[in-house]
Amino acid sequence: MRSGNRRALALTAGLTAAALLSGCSTGTATEPQGKPGEPVTIDVWGWDPVQKQVVDAFNMSQDQVKVKYVQQADNVAMQTNFRNVMESKKDVPCLAQGFAPLATSLVNGWAQDITAYVKPIEDKFGAGALSAAKLGDKYYGIPTGASAKFMVVNSKTLKAAGVEAPKTWEELIKTGKALAPSGTKVINLAGEDPSVLLDLAQQAKAEWFKIDGDKWVVNLHSPETLKAADVFQQIVDNGLNSTQTYKDRPALYSYFDSGKLATLPTQWWSLPGLQTNFKTSLGDWQAVPIPQFEGGAGQGAPGRATASIVPVGCKTPDAAVKFVTFALTDPKGIEASRTKDTGTVAVPAALKDVSQYTEAVVPTKLFAQSPKEVGKVIADAQANVIGGFEQGPDYDSWFPQLQDQWGKAVAKQITFKQALVNVEAYIADDLKSKGIAYTIAK
Amino acid sequence: MSSVTDVREHELDLASKRVRRERSGSPRLSWRTVQRLKGASFTWPFFAGFALFTLVPVVMALGQSLFTTKSSGLGFGGAQVTFSGFDNFARGLADGVFWESMLRAGSYAVVVVPLTQIVSLMLALLVDAVTRRVAGRFRLSLLVPYMIPGIVATMIWIYLYSPTVGPFQSLFELLHLDINFFAGSMIWVSIGNLHIWGTIGFNMLILNGALQSVPRELFDAARVDGASELRIALSIKVPFVRTSLVLTGLLAIIGTLQIFAEPVLFRSVSPETITKDFTPAMVIYNQAFQVGNLNYAAALSIILAGVVGIASAVIYRFTNKVGS
Repeated sequence: MRSGNRRALALTAGLTAAALLSGCSTGTATEPQGKPGEPVTIDVWGWDPVQKQVVDAFNMSQDQVKVKYVQQADNVAMQTNFRNVMESKKDVPCLAQGFAPLATSLVNGWAQDITAYVKPIEDKFGAGALSAAKLGDKYYGIPTGASAKFMVVNSKTLKAAGVEAPKTWEELIKTGKALAPSGTKVINLAGEDPSVLLDLAQQAKAEWFKIDGDKWVVNLHSPETLKAADVFQQIVDNGLNSTQTYKDRPALYSYFDSGKLATLPTQWWSLPGLQTNFKTSLGDWQAVPIPQFEGGAGQGAPGRATASIVPVGCKTPDAAVKFVTFALTDPKGIEASRTKDTGTVAVPAALKDVSQYTEAVVPTKLFAQSPKEVGKVIADAQANVIGGFEQGPDYDSWFPQLQDQWGKAVAKQITFKQALVNVEAYIADDLKSKGIAYTIAK
Repeated sequence: MSSVTDVREHELDLASKRVRRERSGSPRLSWRTVQRLKGASFTWPFFAGFALFTLVPVVMALGQSLFTTKSSGLGFGGAQVTFSGFDNFARGLADGVFWESMLRAGSYAVVVVPLTQIVSLMLALLVDAVTRRVAGRFRLSLLVPYMIPGIVATMIWIYLYSPTVGPFQSLFELLHLDINFFAGSMIWVSIGNLHIWGTIGFNMLILNGALQSVPRELFDAARVDGASELRIALSIKVPFVRTSLVLTGLLAIIGTLQIFAEPVLFRSVSPETITKDFTPAMVIYNQAFQVGNLNYAAALSIILAGVVGIASAVIYRFTNKVGS
């Protein structure tokens, strides 16, 4: 028994020591480190492994700021770990890869105002990237940039029906009707993914959330939003769409490859996946600009960025902004993101002009066009990306409700207009329960 | 004479007790008590884990459920946490969405649990009827689905059910059958089939273990009396495993009322049917990790635990009554 007691005591002492040690902090990244003249050290959090190469290149390029890259397993792990670190207020990073809309980050007390650091370098970024980093007239996010939407069309399928690639959403409906007799669908609307509705609402210049003084104005029933909803209503009512889910990837790619789908709104990073998984339709596809609304020239390309943030608690935001400026806009930083597997660099969406980077990301077998032609479509879309679309202080809460309502509308159980009415009512209830001031637009 | 013997026995007993106390190293505890404590000490890892991973979270959830978190203005700059007593419980008890999901999961359990029990019992009886070597092989292969994590199993079945690339589809086409496992009307059947596939192995193992303890002489006696194998199974084997059936039934009810992983993944393939609030666990998850209302989610968790506890107690009492 005595021996047992001693062991138990030793074990307890060991566990206590371990617990105490684990509770000790070895210093926080929020404090500027080093003496005057020595580099400031900051932590940068993200889940993209390529960022490590960029960090190394940055650290080699100068000696004022030393970045330590903290690689997260994935987006979900990033969210969990980031919430924990912000809760503990210890070892807060100075830059966090964006995983939540800006307003949500502000509501959670995460993002700090970095207007003073971004304003002087505004000219380095594209308009879409700047728009997505702002709330009101202040910058709370890094102008990370959004990947713009363009469209790929199956030229063989369209040719067989004697129709052209649609230039407007109204034309897309007509194209769908022309294809319908052959059983070909004009577009895929996955029941779980309402992001296409956000795309069209953004393109129609709808504002679902707006700040008016000290309250939010919620508006999911504006003529702009209803114009977007009407496009989908006509598509679904006439049975012009397929409903392949993104969860069943083999089935999805098999359907896209079958020639039974005419158009596919997409982004540049989806293209390698399409080439890898297509067998019969390789060489049949053509890249074209995303359709616009009739009579609304220059509406731009949809694309919403989730801006990276400088978290509250970071004492050296200037160092964080210095690093991202290198990573997002400096040719050396962009070059450092070249992946070893594909040998390509990601399209730097934050820039005003990305034309020199787009041709390289085009897969060689997918298109009937040359990589140069496809690259131009991507670059033009990127130059016209809208970027900003305010998603309010409770995006995490209302988006699953939008998914539910979108799924029902695609399945013809309710109309898209009714779906939006339901989501708006849900948002009102949610904001009320959270004590956030709001008003529903007239 | 007898009184002398009694006195001696009493003295011996006292001496024996003294020795035991000395050996035990404790002046107060008897030898038997020490032995019992030693035996009980083997259970401390379980109780430590139970306290750490069950009791502590329950107490923390109870604490969370008594508070409310509210923002103000635009919602920027953090929120205020205030004590709200049982407000979250009152809201939960009146929450139509939550109770609808409970009804849905309950209706599902009413069908799936008996079905799982019947299939598991039949398999256990079949395995019990074959030779020990053959039984070993079947036991292992039937247990494999139980070893596969729920998320992985659901992904496998989503592929198998796929109306585009699933292997069943060509068979259905051959038979001119129009079956879509992802259709709203079929989704419970699809999830139920997956659930039964995943759980029968474990239930079968428990029931088969119980069957092994039935005295074999009873079967020989029944055979001599002219009983068929079916009669032996129904009149001897099944009554003997009733206690195990109650156990597996309770576990199945607890599991089905808390069903989560399967509907979450099936939501993508049938979003018009499986909404974010489809089952009680999904309502709680949504409140905690999407809406961000941990206080209300904690209150709903405790309500769900209460419902599961009451359902288990009622069924346990009912089955015991039927048994007696």
